[in-house]
Amino acid sequence: MRNLKNLSFLALSLLLTLGFQSCTKKQNLDEKVLNLAVTAEIKGLDPIYANDLYSSSEVARVYEGLLEYHYLQRPYTLTPNLAEAMPTVSEDGLTYTFKIKQGVLFHDDAAFPEGKGRELVAEDFVYSIKRLADPKLQGLGWWMIDGKIAGLNEWRAKNAEKDSVDYSEKIEGLQALDKYTLQFKLTKPFPQFLYSLAMPFTFAVAKEAVEKYGKEFINHPVGTGPFVLPVYQQSNKIVYTKNPNFRKKLFPTGASEQFKEIEAANKGKTLPLVEKVIVNLMKESQPRWLNFQKGRIDYISVPKDNFDSAITPDNGLTGNLAKLGIELAILPSLDVTYTAFNHDLKLFQNVNLRRAMALAVDVHESNKLFYNGKSLPAQSIVPPGIAGYEKNFTSPYREKDLEKAKALLAKAGYPEGKGLPEITYDCPSSTVSRQQAEHFKKQMAELGINIKVIQNTWPELQKKIQKRSIQMWGIAWGADYPDAENFLQLLYGPNRAPGANGSGYDNADFNRLFEKATVMQDLPERTALYEKLNRMAAEEVPLIYGVHRQNFTVKHSFLKNFIPTDFDAGQAQYLDIDLKAKAEVLKKL
Amino acid sequence: MNIWSYIFRRILYVIPVILGVCFIIFFIFNVCAPDPAQSLLGKHATLQQMEEVRRELGLNKPYWEQYIDIVKSAFTFDFGRSWQTKQEIIEMIKLGAVPSMTMTVPAFVISTILAIIISLMVSFFRGSALDRVTVITCVALMSIPSLAYILFGQWFFAYELGLFEISGYESGFPYFVPYIILPVTIWVFLAIGPDVRFFRTVMLDEVYQDYVRTARAKGLSEKKILFKHILKNAMIPIITYVIIQIPFLILGALLLESFFSIPGLGAMTITAVNASDFPVIKAMTVLSAVAYIIFTIITDVLYTVVDPRIRLK
Repeated sequence: MRNLKNLSFLALSLLLTLGFQSCTKKQNLDEKVLNLAVTAEIKGLDPIYANDLYSSSEVARVYEGLLEYHYLQRPYTLTPNLAEAMPTVSEDGLTYTFKIKQGVLFHDDAAFPEGKGRELVAEDFVYSIKRLADPKLQGLGWWMIDGKIAGLNEWRAKNAEKDSVDYSEKIEGLQALDKYTLQFKLTKPFPQFLYSLAMPFTFAVAKEAVEKYGKEFINHPVGTGPFVLPVYQQSNKIVYTKNPNFRKKLFPTGASEQFKEIEAANKGKTLPLVEKVIVNLMKESQPRWLNFQKGRIDYISVPKDNFDSAITPDNGLTGNLAKLGIELAILPSLDVTYTAFNHDLKLFQNVNLRRAMALAVDVHESNKLFYNGKSLPAQSIVPPGIAGYEKNFTSPYREKDLEKAKALLAKAGYPEGKGLPEITYDCPSSTVSRQQAEHFKKQMAELGINIKVIQNTWPELQKKIQKRSIQMWGIAWGADYPDAENFLQLLYGPNRAPGANGSGYDNADFNRLFEKATVMQDLPERTALYEKLNRMAAEEVPLIYGVHRQNFTVKHSFLKNFIPTDFDAGQAQYLDIDLKAKAEVLKKL
Repeated sequence: MNIWSYIFRRILYVIPVILGVCFIIFFIFNVCAPDPAQSLLGKHATLQQMEEVRRELGLNKPYWEQYIDIVKSAFTFDFGRSWQTKQEIIEMIKLGAVPSMTMTVPAFVISTILAIIISLMVSFFRGSALDRVTVITCVALMSIPSLAYILFGQWFFAYELGLFEISGYESGFPYFVPYIILPVTIWVFLAIGPDVRFFRTVMLDEVYQDYVRTARAKGLSEKKILFKHILKNAMIPIITYVIIQIPFLILGALLLESFFSIPGLGAMTITAVNASDFPVIKAMTVLSAVAYIIFTIITDVLYTVVDPRIRLK
């Protein structure tokens, strides 16, 4: 009887286990499917609202722009996408004329007659950029073209007062000269303007689709891109399929030396290389990491909590992961973290005080504490990877030197901190930000400076910066485009908050040089000026620089052509899956 | 009093309660909360743009108008659009409620039934080793943080043993089933401790009542005493406890949904809180308040069903 009971128990356990086994789904190995994970909700699929990395990556699967970053070139280089070639630029640097590709079709959609996508024409870009400027829509990329295209600001201001926006009005600086010719006239020379044409904000949308779907256009993406997604429903999963009408776009050539192999392996292949892209929303790091290890996600950034178990001190992969053929790619991010001073306060107009405080910070210790020791201590404001950054430049106020800091503090008029009021340091309310603030407080105490840490929600912090009711705060800046101007503008006086220059630093020499550099074309003279500005930014310590972060990405061996990038606008079309290799890898996982 | 006139009167009482709730929500989100314009526009916001956004969002309207808007939304369920995702909030709620309920309803039913059965058993064997072991197990289960269950469950059962999906969700029956088994199991483990402790206390209160002694003296079987008398008399606190939880089933389970990538209302609320997406937070707060009030009325009405001695006034 007892044996019978045991037997029944065993049988039941077996049945349950088998039942559960069938609960896990087998991966489809019949077609090439790219499985990606995103860590934040997508803000819909309207290009003019794509102001974060996640939304812009999604928008770029469906929509396209005139230009894109060459997939196989570093440093980042702009290359034509929907434009036939790079534009012709007038001698005064004010007029940019583009020829656009002929025969490019919008996705098939009910918005078009008989549901057939029509051909893209130059007028579509005129319409799309007007949409970005439409005061009623509040497009999030307006800053990129604000004040740059002749007549556009006036059009925007005029229509802000009206009940409905008049799209038919001609704008001097934004015209379709004929079906395939597009011309921009700028108000002043601004070579960085071209970067805006590779950003999802200016990607081409079809007027018919906007008008048909109205406010719901954000859920009905209709572009010319490599993938289609007829209806976007907010969910934990977005599934794109290959656009059957995609033009013949070949895998790019002209790779930088390090990517020659990828170029050779894919020469002549038409894009996109996969049939389907599945984007899974996984906000928490554990499921993301476990799903990656099970081969259900093709690549991910190594989550902070799994860093020590995945990455060795010499930036390699730990044994387990290496055995499975997983590969590691390290990308220095185009960003900088910093502690800002409010330069409106007389206290911080004292350069010796700023330098003393910078010298009391041990960047190596904070790198170890908060970035697993894998970030690069920032010598100034411009990150590596773009012109203006000098590999061998070291700031005189970067390495911790308490003796020198104390001497400078005395020179500033506050020997051992005497006479200094308590200084408030505002930070966002996240755990890491608070820890970083406490670490800063501890280091300042060594110098005799009292810091009071105040935590804020993100909007509260923004409001304080904007209203200038703040003393010091910790923050970071990520590149919008790969140009030093995007970082140096943080110190340009006229850009003060609510512009990008939150600290309100205003130095006439810096401003003059900045104005000179930013209207120059990308030439060695401009790089020399950027380097000079970067050195000024290091010498004057308008901010206490932190680190340039590095992104550690792991990928499965069956994922081909993966190159980490700061600007994932269309990357999925170049990626490929080796199904045979995937089947082998999955057996081991 | 007739049950329908009672319900009608209670619904009338609901109006001032909703107005009060709306006032609190208005005060928290429209008066105290920081200006969202810059966080919505991002790092390149200009003063003019922020002003335009405030106008667009109705934040420059007089306070009384903003209050009326919240009250209107509570009665019409027209919550407008999310600031972050620009989606219709009511559509987001409709889309999110189903995944939430596919997980929470089975979890709730299983845990409640199991807890009632276990409580009955331990109150039957009160003071015995089984009772003590059950109480100790319940306390132990309650002492472990929910995050520990989730992390361990995902790692051990889904990843190491491969018995379940690690995370994810697919709409429609039976496609969602593989994705909810693990979160449902974890919910049951999380809920069973406090449920058993509560039900056991309620039942033990009844076990020592005179009518139970009378029943025993009359020679009724323990089974009959437990199921017919004790359970029936313990139903009022049990109903209160159970029904009041129902609104929260619709609203989802915040952590479970977030960790298991279930696109429910819990995960949606967490995202909205992180992004300071006030219209969504307001909508969820209004909805919870309304649902809570409705289910309180249902509880009161049900009292009369299980105990005819109770009269509605």
